[in-house]
Amino acid sequence: MSLLPLGTPALPLDEAGKYVAGAYIVFVLLLVIYVSIMAIKLQRIEKELRELATFAEQGPSGTPERGAAQSSPGPPERGAEQGSPGTPGRGAEDVPVDSKTQPAGGSDRNLVPSEATAGPSAEIRGSSDV
Amino acid sequence: MYGKGLKPLSIATVVALAAGLSLVFFYAPNDADQGFIQKIFYLHVPLAMVSLVGFIVGGVFAILHLRSGDRRWDAYSYVSIHMSVIFGVGVLITGSIWAKASWGHWWVWEEPTLVSYLIVFLLYATYYPFRYAIEDRDRQARYASVFAITAGSFVPLNFIAVRLSESLVHPRVFATTNGGLPASMMFTFLVCLTAMALLWVTLVKFELTAKSASGQVKRLRRALDAPPAGPRSRIAPEVS
Repeated sequence: MSLLPLGTPALPLDEAGKYVAGAYIVFVLLLVIYVSIMAIKLQRIEKELRELATFAEQGPSGTPERGAAQSSPGPPERGAEQGSPGTPGRGAEDVPVDSKTQPAGGSDRNLVPSEATAGPSAEIRGSSDV
Repeated sequence: MYGKGLKPLSIATVVALAAGLSLVFFYAPNDADQGFIQKIFYLHVPLAMVSLVGFIVGGVFAILHLRSGDRRWDAYSYVSIHMSVIFGVGVLITGSIWAKASWGHWWVWEEPTLVSYLIVFLLYATYYPFRYAIEDRDRQARYASVFAITAGSFVPLNFIAVRLSESLVHPRVFATTNGGLPASMMFTFLVCLTAMALLWVTLVKFELTAKSASGQVKRLRRALDAPPAGPRSRIAPEVS
């Protein structure tokens, strides 16, 4: 260790430049890698959301949910599949939908009241999916 | 909720980083002793300071978690430590590059500053397998909080010990009242430190927002009783 120069003279610019550039490139690379990983995660979330929206629209058995039938001007047969008007379909029984709070339009908004069924404890709960 | 204010924060971070880099290369003078290589100082030291403070912040969030039982604090603590570990990787790599250029060695084992930081970094690197090893989410959060508090309290002690020890080659900056830097260098350093702190806060917020979105999707999936999409993280806590 006595060989270590304690009072190191300044490196010439052509030699020091590559080290400085290397350090700053490492920093940028770390940022880029992190942002890329986060982008992949966000893509996965988006994909899951799409799956859930499809699932909510079609229901577990593949039949369209009431909300989906409301939001899209489908043929009358679709309503008949779910029973008489005003009667929730099978999928709607599984996932209660409050018609008062239900906004008109996009079928994905039908998911919001379902969240409320999770109860207040769901606000901060961690999943049990370890 | 977590995404609130993320956009202005991101803009402020980019502006601060751009300002910092401009000052480093166009305003701050070259060091009389080290010359151009000293420019790494404006990257390496703020990264180190922010990462160490981030570890302590993670400990503070862990205290809040244990006091309140609110899982959100556990998520804050996890993300703070996670981000500080990433910054820590940057500290070690940029420090090694600077050491090679300045001392001719990538690493000096006899230097307490380097070794102490490595110990802190490795200590926090064990946080992930420690968390991963516990199946039950509640126990996981509690134990991880205890770890974060213990390790977080170790950070300032470690810092004091390094200050008290005799330095071999690593400079002791800010050991004097004026910081040991001329005004132009100090100003540049402070801008870089602010930029790095903003970057840390932005990335923490970004990560929390992503975790919150992921948690909301899982809640939806449970509420809809939909089949799981695939493997889920066993380490990271959920926030909703």
